[in-house]
Formats: sequence, C-alpha cells, structure tokens
Amino acid sequence: MGGVGDEEPATKRMKLSAGELRGLSNGSSCAEPVAGSSRDLMARPLPSEGDEQVVGSKGVIKRVEFVRLIAKALYSLGYKKSGAHLEEESGIPLHSSFVNLFMQQILDGNWDGSVDTLQKIGLSDETIVKSASFMILEQKYFELLDEEKDMDALKTLRTEIVPLCINGSRVRELSSCIVSPSFGGTPGKNIVRAKSRSKLLEDLQKLLPPTLMILDRRLEHLVEQALVLQRDACIFHNTLNEEMSLYTDHWCGKEQIPSQTLQILQAHNDEVWFLQFSHDGKYLASSSSDQSAIIWEVDVNGGVSLKHRLSGHQKPVSSVSWSPDDHQLLTCGVEEAVRRWDVSSGECLHVYEKPGVGLVSCGWFPDGKCLFSGVSDKSICMWELDGKELECWKGQRSLRISDLEITSDGKQLISNCRENAILLLDREAKVETFIEEDQTITSFSLSRDNRFLLVNLLNQEIHLWNIEGENKLVAKYKGHKRARFVIRSCFGGLEEAFVASGSEDSQVYIWHRGSGELIEALPGHSGAVNCVSWNPANPHMFASASDDRTIRIWGLSGQKVKHRGAHSNGIHLNCNGGT
Amino acid sequence: MDVDPRHFNQVAINDNDINSIVLSYLVHNCYKETVESFVASTGTKQPADCIEDMEKRKRIFQCAVEGNAQKAIELTEELAPELLEKNKDLHFDLLSLHFVELVCAKKCTEALEFAQNKLGPFGKVDKYVTKLEDFMALLAYNEPEKSPMFHLLSLDYRQQVADSLNQAILGHSNLPDYSALERLIQQTTVVRQYMSEDNVKNGNPPFSLKDFIRS
Repeated sequence: MGGVGDEEPATKRMKLSAGELRGLSNGSSCAEPVAGSSRDLMARPLPSEGDEQVVGSKGVIKRVEFVRLIAKALYSLGYKKSGAHLEEESGIPLHSSFVNLFMQQILDGNWDGSVDTLQKIGLSDETIVKSASFMILEQKYFELLDEEKDMDALKTLRTEIVPLCINGSRVRELSSCIVSPSFGGTPGKNIVRAKSRSKLLEDLQKLLPPTLMILDRRLEHLVEQALVLQRDACIFHNTLNEEMSLYTDHWCGKEQIPSQTLQILQAHNDEVWFLQFSHDGKYLASSSSDQSAIIWEVDVNGGVSLKHRLSGHQKPVSSVSWSPDDHQLLTCGVEEAVRRWDVSSGECLHVYEKPGVGLVSCGWFPDGKCLFSGVSDKSICMWELDGKELECWKGQRSLRISDLEITSDGKQLISNCRENAILLLDREAKVETFIEEDQTITSFSLSRDNRFLLVNLLNQEIHLWNIEGENKLVAKYKGHKRARFVIRSCFGGLEEAFVASGSEDSQVYIWHRGSGELIEALPGHSGAVNCVSWNPANPHMFASASDDRTIRIWGLSGQKVKHRGAHSNGIHLNCNGGT
Repeated sequence: MDVDPRHFNQVAINDNDINSIVLSYLVHNCYKETVESFVASTGTKQPADCIEDMEKRKRIFQCAVEGNAQKAIELTEELAPELLEKNKDLHFDLLSLHFVELVCAKKCTEALEFAQNKLGPFGKVDKYVTKLEDFMALLAYNEPEKSPMFHLLSLDYRQQVADSLNQAILGHSNLPDYSALERLIQQTTVVRQYMSEDNVKNGNPPFSLKDFIRS
C-alpha cells in the first residue's frame, strides 16, 4: 500500500510523516511550517514529552495517527485555526501538500489538475491511480453532460476515459448516457447526473489508502465503537434512552432490574399455572388450576387490577394466548377445550372442541383470523375463528403436555413433539426441523424477533437456541430449581436482554442473556413459581405466578409500592423504606 | 408409405418442379440476367413485374451491404411503403447501419446528433435498449474497430441486415421470404441426419451436405 508510511524509525530525527520526507527529498517545499527552526532538522530530539512514538497506557496507539485524527476532527468541527495550529505545533501534517492540493482541485472542479496531482501523490499501486482517475473523469463527463456540452463530454470519454483501459462495462453505460438525458429512466425529465463534488471526494477517500487521506469522521467512529462496546458489556442495561457520557465508562447498576414486589394479586383459588402480558403491555392474563382465567388491567402507573374472571372451563386452565391485536384471548383447558374470549366484555365468544380428544395447547395465527391448537392425539389442528377446521397435521406433532408457538410471520409452527425434541414446522416449505436435547424438555418460549427459543429442561437447565437457519445451541442458564413440575421461563427487559424463570424453590431467577450470568434470585412467593412474564412495553415490570395461588408484580427497588383498594383484590404491601 | 426409402432414386420428378425451384432461388437473390436467360432457355413462366421488382430489390440489397443505409431506406419506402413503419426492428437495424457509417467516417458530431435524434427514441422500448447500448458504445472509441463491439462494423453484420430487408420486402409483396431451394436443402439435411442416426451409432460418419455435393 502506498502513501504515508507509519513505520517511523525510532531515531532522534525530526518526526515528519513520510509524505513530507518524500516531499523534501523531491525538492518541493513543505506546505506547513514545522515545529522548531530549520537548525532543528538535524539530530536534536524534540523537547519534553511527546517524543514517544506511541501514546496511551497499552502502547498500541501510534502518535502520528492519533494526532492526525485529532487534527481531522478539529477541522470537521469547524475549528480551522486550531487544526492548523495543531499541525504546526506537533510537526505532524494532516495531509501531505499534494493531498491538500488534490482535495482542493476536486472541490474546485479542476479535473485535469487533479488527475495530474494523482500521479504525484505517492501511490504505488497503478490500479488505484487508474480507478481514481476514472472516477474523476467520470465526474467531468457528467458535469459536461449536465451543462449540455455533449461534444465536449464525448471528447472526454473518447480521449481521456477510454484510454485508461479499465471498466469497459462502465464505459458502455457512460456512452449510453449521452443519447438521452435520462437514458434508462423516465423520459423527458431533466435529471442532474453528476453527483456532488464533496460526494466524489468521499468516494475517492474510500478508494485511496487510508493513510494517505484520513477518512471523514474517523475519530468519531472510533469513539462510537467504544460506546457501543461498553453498552453491550453492561449486563444490567435495561433502560432506553440512557445517555452515554464519554467521561466515564458506561455502567448500569442492578437497580435497573426489577427486584421488588410492588403488588400481590390474590384472586385465584388454586395454583396459578400460567400468565402472560398482552402485546401492548396494558393487560395481563393468568390461568389457574381453579379452572378459571383472569384478565387484569395495567393502569398508567403500573397498578394492576382485576378486570374479568373467565369461567367456563371444566378443567384446569393450562395456558392463555393473546390475539395479535390484544382484543381477544384464548384459554386452554387441560385435555379439554379451547375457549375464545372478548377482552373488553369478558364474554366467551367460541368454544373449540374435538370429539373424542382433548386440546392441550393453543396459539393465534399472526393475521388474527385463525388459531392453532395441539390435540391429545398428538396432532395439531388449525381452525378458523368461527370453528371451521382448516388443516390438521397428524403424526407425532405434539405431546399431552405441550407448548405451541408460531413465528410472527406465520411461517413456522413450533411444538413439543417428543420428550426430548421440539418440532419446527415450516408451513410454506413443508420442511420439518428439530431441536433435540439429551434431557426431557418441559416447556419453551419464543423470542419476539422469532430468532431464539428458550427451552426448559428436566435437569434444571435452560437452553437458548438460535433457530435462524440451522438450529444451534448458544447459551445455558442454571441456578434455578425444577424437580417435579413444569416451570416456565421467558425473555424480557430492554431488547429482551434478560431471561427470567420460575423455580420450585419459590424464587424468581433472572440471568443476563448475553453473558449467562445470574443476576437475581428473588424470594417472596411461598410456593413454586410456575411462570414469569415480562411486560413487553415496560422493561421495569414483570409478573410471576405461583402455586401459592398468588401473582406478584415486580418493579424497580426505588419504586413506590402500590396501595390497594378494595376492588382490586391485591394486598397492600408494607415495605420498609420503599418510597 | 408409397416408396421404400432405400429406393429413393425411383421417385418420379417433374421437370417443371425443378425449374421452379431453380427460378425461385434466382429470383430471391435478384440474379436478373440469369433469370432472363433461364426463362428463355426453359420456357418457365414468371410473374409480370418480376424483373422490375428484382432490379429494385437488388439495388436496395446492395445499398444495405455497402452500408449506404439512407439510400436503402429511401428506395425501400418507394418500393414497399409503410414496410419500415410496420417493421420496427428492421427500421432500427437500418438506421444503425447509417450510424455505423458515420462513426467509421469519424464524423462524431453528426453521429452523436443522429443517435440522439433518430436512435434515441427507440430507447424507450425495452427490447431495443441493449442494442442501442451496443451501438452507442462504438462512439466511445477513437478506433471503433478496436472496441468490444467491432463486429457491428463488419460486412457480415451488414449482410445480415440486408438479408432481413430482402426477406421483409419479399414478404410484403406476398412472395415467399425463403427460396424453395433453400428450404428443400434444409429439410433434406435434417431428414438425412435423422435417418443416419442409427448408422452413426455403428460408427459411420453423420450426413454432411458438403460431402454429398462433392461426391
């Protein structure tokens, strides 16, 4: 690669960039005055600190590069005097004089001059010189066309561009442009074909070696990179719009994670097995072995109150599913029927049953017009809302205890099909893939972006699978307890950065998804915690369902605990110092 | 079938048929003098305007082959008005011949203007876009014969265009656009190749028209 070298010999010579050195040896003069007077050109080292070739504690930043980036940043910020002063004081010019000349010529439209300067700029690679010349002459060509100087443009094409003997297909395109102003586009319109000169300069910058011409905003780019890395490394990061400062490394504390019970909801008469927030976070639905389901409303302050009790099932209700628009809810009785409810009125709109068999799971189709359910004969059925059966996949598709999910594009159906396998059925391509584990799978949960599956196993591990393309295991989470029951886990928090799970030791467990680190184990319930649901609209709120018949609403530890009124069936919680 | 293929040399052929075939070839290719003397020798009939038309077609053909497209277009308009309007492909091909002539004569300004005014409008229709690009690419080169599109300058190309023009004119006057002789040879070749397929599998050479003519 040609251009300014960065291998400065560690001698006591004046630290000039190689470009300048070349310029000096060619007899041309330096554009910028260098530090010290001319007698300093010999032997004497530069005074004080700043003689080091590298800066920074790790010794990986080269001084010359660092200073040039700063100078470039000063110029982009508009501080021309400071930029020039830095170049002078450090003795490190931002660009060689030829590069400066080149850039000016481009902006002035001095094409012939710039092509000329290109030869002197110090590029060792002929192909780059040619490609850059081609780019410049192309600009010349288009500008001539825009000025309607067709013959001049043609002359440029014939005598300057073609002799470069590169990019024949582009030459072809260029010669077509001359026929009509908008060749290939809409006829009759006067289109400006030449791009702006500053865009040309940008494109040339990308073509030429980066040591020669510093890319625009390079320093800003490096700083942004650092900030993004900091944020990604922050395992407690759970607040949107967190402003990041350059003064200290970004660091969130645990206080970003909900860890305090704000409310206890007591309305079920038996174990609460399942719960889920609606997509908009305004409602929560819970289901219980007391054969009922409850729709709760979440008010603007995060307070949760009972809205409707849904009775009708003759069996424990194992799961619920919100319609895509959150206006309807499906509930599934264990090996019984699926019921569809209207959320605002609490009315049961339809009951779905199959004679001779029971339904075990349910899910909405993304367009809200159909629903799926797993059947106790191991098949999966698809119904229209009015009850008409549309399709049925037979064979070992689901189990007697089974989850059922559909990706939000409607393409993939996911279901437990064997004790240790999950089936992913691509409805369009009619392709089946499997996730297989060594242990029995008890439940699973799909991420919002449809790319990941969280799988709960019998051996008390939670596995994270990437289901895009080939199914791949990417992480494992441990720490919670599961011995006899179905325990569920879920994604949650800002950008689903966390995994939360219930546990048989009555605690709620929270891990950082990316690192697998266990962040919290929250006590409170007095029975196994069966299910956790994180509010998709509020990263600081999640709910847990337990065998102790209650539902707990969790929030940030600084938050005010909700006082309960008589109508909402929650308990007022006394919390020391909790304001 | 009436005759066993192996006894093809016993098929009866009418002399008149043979004469028609030869005549069709001569007329198609505008060999006026030969037609006249053939007709005189064999007594075959030929349609009234035949000679005159042949003359005209011959001139058009020659103009096209020489690259004098403007003249060819003029004469075509005289002989077969509206032919070129109905046959846009042909029209484009002829105009492009003229363009090529200008390019070869290094008359760049004229070539550019001609392209912009006459060829450009064709560019609005998708199927001409690639062709148009092909021709415009010639303009970019000082020495068009060294450009990637040099074949457009060749005699072969001009011949091709001239042939298409000839066929179009014949078609316009309700004459067959292929001579019977040509068709027969094409068909014979296919049939014989088909028939000799089995022989070829046994190692014999396939049918070759050239060899047949020489033998």
